Amino acid sequence: MYASLSAHHASASLLVEVASRFSPEVELSAQTVTFSIAPLRQLIGSPHQIASEICRAGYECKLQASLAIAANPDSAILLARHFRGVTMVTPGEERLKLASLPLAELFAYDAVKLAPNLLDILLRWGIKTCEDLAALPEKGLSERLGAAGLYLRQLACGTVSRPLRLKAEQTSYTIEKELEDSLELLEPLLFLLSRAAGELCHRLRAQSQAARQLELQLLLNEKPLFVRLEFPVPLSDPRTILKLLQLHLERHPPVAPVRGFRLHLEPVEPQRVQGGIFLPPTPAPDKLHVTLARIAGMVGAENVGTPVLLNTHRPDAFALTPLPSARAGNQPVPEMLRLAMRLFRPALQAQVQLVHLAPKNIAASGIRGRVLRHAGPWKTSGDWWTTASWTREEWDVALDDGALYRIYQESATHEWFVHAVYD
Amino acid sequence: MANTARWMKASDLQLAREEAKLPALELHRLKPFFPNGLQRGSLLEVNGGQSSGRTSTSLYILAESISRGETCACIDLNNSFCPASLAQAGVGLEQLCWVRCNGNTEHAMRAADLLLHAGGFGVVLLDLCGARSKTLNRIPLSYWFRFQRAIEHTPTILLICSELPQARSCARYSLAMKKSKFHWKGDAPFAVLTALESTAQNNKLTSIRPEPLLIQTGEA
Repeated sequence: MYASLSAHHASASLLVEVASRFSPEVELSAQTVTFSIAPLRQLIGSPHQIASEICRAGYECKLQASLAIAANPDSAILLARHFRGVTMVTPGEERLKLASLPLAELFAYDAVKLAPNLLDILLRWGIKTCEDLAALPEKGLSERLGAAGLYLRQLACGTVSRPLRLKAEQTSYTIEKELEDSLELLEPLLFLLSRAAGELCHRLRAQSQAARQLELQLLLNEKPLFVRLEFPVPLSDPRTILKLLQLHLERHPPVAPVRGFRLHLEPVEPQRVQGGIFLPPTPAPDKLHVTLARIAGMVGAENVGTPVLLNTHRPDAFALTPLPSARAGNQPVPEMLRLAMRLFRPALQAQVQLVHLAPKNIAASGIRGRVLRHAGPWKTSGDWWTTASWTREEWDVALDDGALYRIYQESATHEWFVHAVYD
Repeated sequence: MANTARWMKASDLQLAREEAKLPALELHRLKPFFPNGLQRGSLLEVNGGQSSGRTSTSLYILAESISRGETCACIDLNNSFCPASLAQAGVGLEQLCWVRCNGNTEHAMRAADLLLHAGGFGVVLLDLCGARSKTLNRIPLSYWFRFQRAIEHTPTILLICSELPQARSCARYSLAMKKSKFHWKGDAPFAVLTALESTAQNNKLTSIRPEPLLIQTGEA
C-alpha cells in the first residue's frame, strides 16, 4: 500500500518533511510525495489509522494537502491530485475510483511516456474518461496504439505496478583536508593521501564506478600545486592509484611545505573485458601502467611509449604515444626475413672522399673504411612548404670493415652523415 | 639403507621442467635453427657483429609474436631501434612498448626487470648492441638468473640481442650470426642492394650445423 500527499500551495520541502515522519524512502514528483505504508501496518495499525496519523502530522506542520492511499504508487498519486481530502481505496477497487478521471489528467501525469497526439486520437474516438478507456479491449488497444496505449489503459485501471522512484544521494568523490602542521616530506603526505584515496575508491566501488582521472591540489605557502593524472584504463584499486601518484610526486615534488590537499577522482563506468582461454597473453592494464610509470620515472616520460609512424617521407619520422589498452587482433604473419636498419640518433657527421662523384673513403665517429661497393645516390626531399624542409642524397655503402651503411649528404649544406647501419 | 626409489636424478628433474605447458612460438623462417619453435618462458640470445643480421632476426621474432596479437616490448639501449623496419614486416606497432635508455645500461637492465615482472608480454627484446664490452661485463650473472626465474612458467620470451653472448648458461637458445656477403643487383650507378646473406648457428643445439640465412631488402 502507498500513500500520496498532494498540495498545490505548499512547498516541496514541507511535503517531504511530513512524509519523512513515516518513511525514509520518499518519491517526490510535481507537488506530490509518495511513500510506502506497508511497514507502518505493524507500528500504527490499519490503513484508516495510518491515514489519520498522516492527517494529524499534516495539521501539526500546517500543511493543507490531499491524501490518497492505494495499492500502487501511480493510483495513489492520481487520486491525491484529483480528489480533495482523504481518499482510501481498497485493493482491487482502483478502477472504480479512477473512473471519473478525465484522460487529460493521465497525460499530464506522465508526459514522458504518453505522447500528446495519443490524447487527440482517443478524444476523436469519443474516449474522455478513464472509465471509457478501461472499457476498451486490451488486445485491440494494443494493436492500434501499441505499448503506450496498453500502458495508458493500465493507468486507467490502476493496475500499474512499480517500485518507488527514489532520488539517489549525490556521492562526492572529493576529499579536502587542511593540516595543522605543514608537511615537508613526501612520505607523511603519501600516508594521508593513501587514506583519502582508499576512502574515495571505497565510494567508487560502492557505486560500481572507477576513476579515469585524478586531480590533486596541494596547498602550499604561496601558490597551490595542481596535479592531474589521466589513467589509460578506469581504476578502482587504491594501491595502484596511490603508486601512480607517488611516482608522479617523486618526479615533481612540491617546492614548499604542504598545508593541506584536495583530492578528487573523476568517476566513469569501469571497463569490463571478458578474457578468453585462447587469446594471447596481454599485461594487466593497471599493472602495466604502474610499470610504465616507474620506467618513465627512470628514463623520462618522453622515452617510453608506442611508436607511431608519421605520415611523411621524412626518414625516422615517428611519435611516441601511450600504449593503448585495447587488444589488437591477429595480424598477417611476416612472409620473409626483412633487412632491418639500426639508426644513429643523431646521425653521425662524416668525412667522405669522393672519386668520380661516388664515395670512396668514409670516416666518422667509430666508423672508418674504404668503400667496396655502393648503390645510389637516391635524391629525397620533402616538407618544402614549411621551414623544416629537407633535401638529401642517400647512398648505401659496403665498407671494408664488413658493415653496410646508409649515408647521406645534405643538399643545402653539402655535409655528410651516417644515418644507419644495415643489420 | 634408505629407499632410493624416492630419489630422482637431477637430469630427470630437468626433463620434467622441460615439459611445455604453453604452445611454442613457431618461427617459420628460422625453422632450421629452432625446429620446435621457441618454448615459452625461455631466454634466447642472438649474437653477431655489425651487419650480421642480428637485428633483422630479432625484429622478425618480434613481428612473429605481434602477428599473433601479443603485446611485446623493446628495450633499446642506444636508441637505435628503427620502427619503420619492424613495420616493414607488415605488423602494426600498436602492441609494441618501446623503452629508450639513452645508452644507460643500468636503466636498460632495470626496465627489463620491471617489464618481465609485470608479466603478460609475448616477447621482450633487450637490445644491447653497441654497448661497450667493458660495461656489459660488469652486469652480474645474477641478473640473468633473475630474468630467467622471472619468465619461467610464463608465456614471455626474453630475447637478448648483443654482439657477444651475455646470459650464457641462463639462455635456452643461442643463435650466433656471422655476415657472409651482400647481394646486389645491377652495376653502379644503378646498383641496388637486394639481400644480406648470413651464417647462423644455434649454439645450444650442437646437432645443427651452421646454415646460411638470407635476409632480403624487399627489392626484387
